[in-house]
Amino acid sequence: MTALHWLSIAEASQAFAARALSPVELLSSLLERIGRLDPRLHAFIRLDADAAMEAARAVEKEIAAGRKRGPLHGVPIGVKDIIDVAGLPTTCHSKILLDNMAKQDAVVIGRLRQAGAIIIGKLSTHEFAIGGPSFDLPFPPARNPWNPDHHPGGSSSGSGAGVCAGLFPGALGSDTGGSVRNPASACGIVGLKPTYGLVSRRGVFPLSFTLDHVGPLTRSVADVGLMLDAMAGYDGADVGSAASASSARPFGHMLDRGVRGLRVGFVRHFHESDMPADAAVATALEEAARVLQTEGADVRNVTLPSLNEFAAVNRVILCSESWSIHARWLRDRPGDYGQLARRRLLPGAFMGAGAYVGAQRRRLQMIAAVEDALRDVDVLLCASSMDPASRIEDAEETQRTYSRQARTPFNVTGHPALAMMSGLASNGLPLSVQFVGRYFDEAMLLRVAAVYEHATEWHKRRPPIG
Amino acid sequence: MDQQLVAALARAAGLEKALAEFPEDVAAAAAQALNNAGAIQVPEDPAVEPWPPMRAGTGL
Repeated sequence: MTALHWLSIAEASQAFAARALSPVELLSSLLERIGRLDPRLHAFIRLDADAAMEAARAVEKEIAAGRKRGPLHGVPIGVKDIIDVAGLPTTCHSKILLDNMAKQDAVVIGRLRQAGAIIIGKLSTHEFAIGGPSFDLPFPPARNPWNPDHHPGGSSSGSGAGVCAGLFPGALGSDTGGSVRNPASACGIVGLKPTYGLVSRRGVFPLSFTLDHVGPLTRSVADVGLMLDAMAGYDGADVGSAASASSARPFGHMLDRGVRGLRVGFVRHFHESDMPADAAVATALEEAARVLQTEGADVRNVTLPSLNEFAAVNRVILCSESWSIHARWLRDRPGDYGQLARRRLLPGAFMGAGAYVGAQRRRLQMIAAVEDALRDVDVLLCASSMDPASRIEDAEETQRTYSRQARTPFNVTGHPALAMMSGLASNGLPLSVQFVGRYFDEAMLLRVAAVYEHATEWHKRRPPIG
Repeated sequence: MDQQLVAALARAAGLEKALAEFPEDVAAAAAQALNNAGAIQVPEDPAVEPWPPMRAGTGL
């Protein structure tokens, strides 16, 4: 039998339904593992063990009484500490907000609770989802379970590290320039940035209003779909929420349909010429294309605007919007930020309105370019990270490699994008690929990702920890 | 970048404290802002509008 800590959400749910496992048993096992491993990994800022156990006992009674709500019922979920959980501080991993007690749950937390999920605690992030990995903050940075000397990606770093290490089967992250997909890539798990507006951002501390997304991280494509089923939905109080989302539910309803006859657009120039990738990453991308072709997909090359320009548009928008959020603290309390966050948030003070509007005008053209490409293909395949994760204490190498990625284009355009494991580098760290879908067509995105997952079985590899 | 110009812009943005305590961070931020903005091909067609468009009667 699979060890309890490696059970997927789907497997745990089936075991609960069959009365082969109880939510209290699963949570107890995970809490023991957290106590043993988290002192090395630092995935948690705050473990909420007592409340989680109380919830598990209540859920156990419901399930025993035959009132099972769905696949998340009784499943422990970790939460990035920029998302409000009532009664717990939302610190954003920052000295600035150490006492920022959340009065109510974020909408996405409410939806997860309604589905029966158990909130297990608040997880490490880069400071305000932008400044990290850093050692000058009130909490230590999370570390990579494949090798704790390396970073686990970010900014949803605790979410990635914890799911990867088997501390919980699913987690919430946020993604403004790739912050769900980066830890998924670095930790060899699955991370989805849904279509902009599909998941409510109300109760999530903003970084950049028009780029922010909330997404799930899990160890399987199917589990990402199960979490998204609970998370997605219109929220009239979130001005970015999509009222007319036509997403077919459940999001995993096409997971077993294969890819025969589907068209996959391979954005080779991202990793070949725009930002040449590490050789192992490039080889894994070619192998991903070959696997999909073998499974019956028509893989063809697609050209989009250059990765460097996408990145510049993302940065101008992000810096401008985040300055409007952080200006008061940067003026009054600059020393209460860690250095990385301070350096990454200050540029907005020097960007004129013309730069911001210019970036937003170019953005519209970039959206049109991706939409044009997705008229001819069903999904896009491209790189996620161009390099395996660097050593966490090598600030120079981390600075060099952190921006070498192809995730920001889809924050700029708002298309759904998923990163997942595609191999192991010679140093034993995960490699990754990224799939991108049409607006609100997460089901197709998951369908293609599931084919790749089952054909390669990288998802069965586990980090050499505990 | 011209350090005097950076200092003047920082003061205009209300960043006197940051300028005094973290002058290197302020200078690096100013340089980054300039580099990023210059890397974008802003549309020449005056009719290209920014995203997101204004939409009357939707949302709230």
